[in-house]
Amino acid sequence: MTAVIEVKNLTKRYREKTAVDDISFTIERDSIYGLLGRNGAGKTTVMSILTAQNFPTSGDVRVFGEAPYENAGVLRRMCFVRESQKYPDDATPLHAFRIARLFYPNWDQPLAERLIAEFQLPVKQRIKKLSRGQLSAVGVIIGIAARAEITFFDEPYLGLDAVARQIFYDRLLEDYAEHPRTIILSSHLIDEVSNLLEKVIVIDGGRIVMDEDTESVRDRAATILGDSAAVEAFVAGREVIHRESLGRVTSVTVLGALTAADRAALAASGLDVAPVSLQQLIVRQTQHAAPADEGALR
Amino acid sequence: MNRTLNVVRMQLVNRATYIWVPLMVLGGTIVITLAIFGLIASNGNVEVDMFGGGAQAPLWYFAVVGVQALTLTFPFSQAMSVTRREFYLGTLITAALTALGLALLFVIGGFIEEVTDGWGLGGYMFRLTWVWSQGAVVAGLFFFSLAMLFFVVGFCGATVYKRWGNLVLTISLIGLALLFVAGLWLIGQLQAWPEVMAWFGSLTPISLTGAMLAVAAVLAGGSYLMLRRSIA
Repeated sequence: MTAVIEVKNLTKRYREKTAVDDISFTIERDSIYGLLGRNGAGKTTVMSILTAQNFPTSGDVRVFGEAPYENAGVLRRMCFVRESQKYPDDATPLHAFRIARLFYPNWDQPLAERLIAEFQLPVKQRIKKLSRGQLSAVGVIIGIAARAEITFFDEPYLGLDAVARQIFYDRLLEDYAEHPRTIILSSHLIDEVSNLLEKVIVIDGGRIVMDEDTESVRDRAATILGDSAAVEAFVAGREVIHRESLGRVTSVTVLGALTAADRAALAASGLDVAPVSLQQLIVRQTQHAAPADEGALR
Repeated sequence: MNRTLNVVRMQLVNRATYIWVPLMVLGGTIVITLAIFGLIASNGNVEVDMFGGGAQAPLWYFAVVGVQALTLTFPFSQAMSVTRREFYLGTLITAALTALGLALLFVIGGFIEEVTDGWGLGGYMFRLTWVWSQGAVVAGLFFFSLAMLFFVVGFCGATVYKRWGNLVLTISLIGLALLFVAGLWLIGQLQAWPEVMAWFGSLTPISLTGAMLAVAAVLAGGSYLMLRRSIA
């Protein structure tokens, strides 16, 4: 694996607050990352700085080994359509796609047309008259059809209905399978995108609180399901992060990887192991990771 | 260079901004001015030629174009992974092309007025005597640099707004106005009005054209330095 993005000690301070606080991470080629966190955590700021749309206060950003600022050779290999993207005044989606085709060398026109049809996007209507969901669709189509080597999606699902969101996830995965590239998907709806993600970077209060493979994050916890008494016996002494009961059946999510002995014990007592909700885990982790802030609040 | 030219095509998506609205303003101005010329001419024998200044309206509109070029298209250019330099150069090229087109129309208008003796009414809006005193080429250059100056003024103002916000823009405009008033005061104090007037009188179209281009170049340079650190 080679790193396409390297960030070292990146800080972004505005007058009244620190949006990004001394973070370091790398993004590897040809995988799908989730940049997760609450609203205002610093996700968009980080993506803007990586694409040289915004400026760091301090720290070092390398994309394809070079500084991205005013670097056409690097920038042309990236695509970042903001969640609140502005378009030229009279532009229609058709105009926007025509321009994107000029700037993105790998632009796939048939794919763009297919997506337009699937999202039922009115391409001849002026963009400023579109609904929030249609506006998101314009950004999503540019992001997928541009097929840039590094593509950022910034809360791409805003205003999209469930069907449209599923189209986005399906087409993105399909096209990614045929044309591997690096995709960074920012989201606060964690469970909805969790199946797409190979790696997750969780950012909270401008700091990175988790940077791992999705699989190993999931392995950090397990949901034990079965007869209430047996479940309670098994989880005794473990850190429980979630508990649900229905009649005599209980489902408990515990922190910590399961050992072979654990699995044997589970099988012996007829308990099942279910996959963990990434969202629950991350919510839990972000709460754990912020004791200093909580202390400051008290 | 290819990407810079693509910025020109991106700007020209706003056909209304760059082409139709200026043409409409120009067309409207011509119709209105001709109507006024006609009105005056129909009121009796007009001995002297009439000169109308309405044709400058589309030139003023270039300030608006300058503002829109930045506020509406810069954010999109960022999403297209265009560098600030490419955006800046492409936008200035677009402005120059449009200004050139407009200057050409003005010169053609001037020739029409020459051939038809002011639309048959003795009324002139393009063939202004002083502007044409050094010939059609200088007149065309004059119109071109005036349009460019207006564009850059709008673009520069919009860049200040993007970079530092409304407060700084307002303060700089007030500052400029104060400087202007201070200049007037200084001239009065030095009792230099006759000299200043004489200097204005001695200006030729080509020297004023040069001065306008110089001011436009300074503003354009300043805009670039600000744009380099602007966030869409």
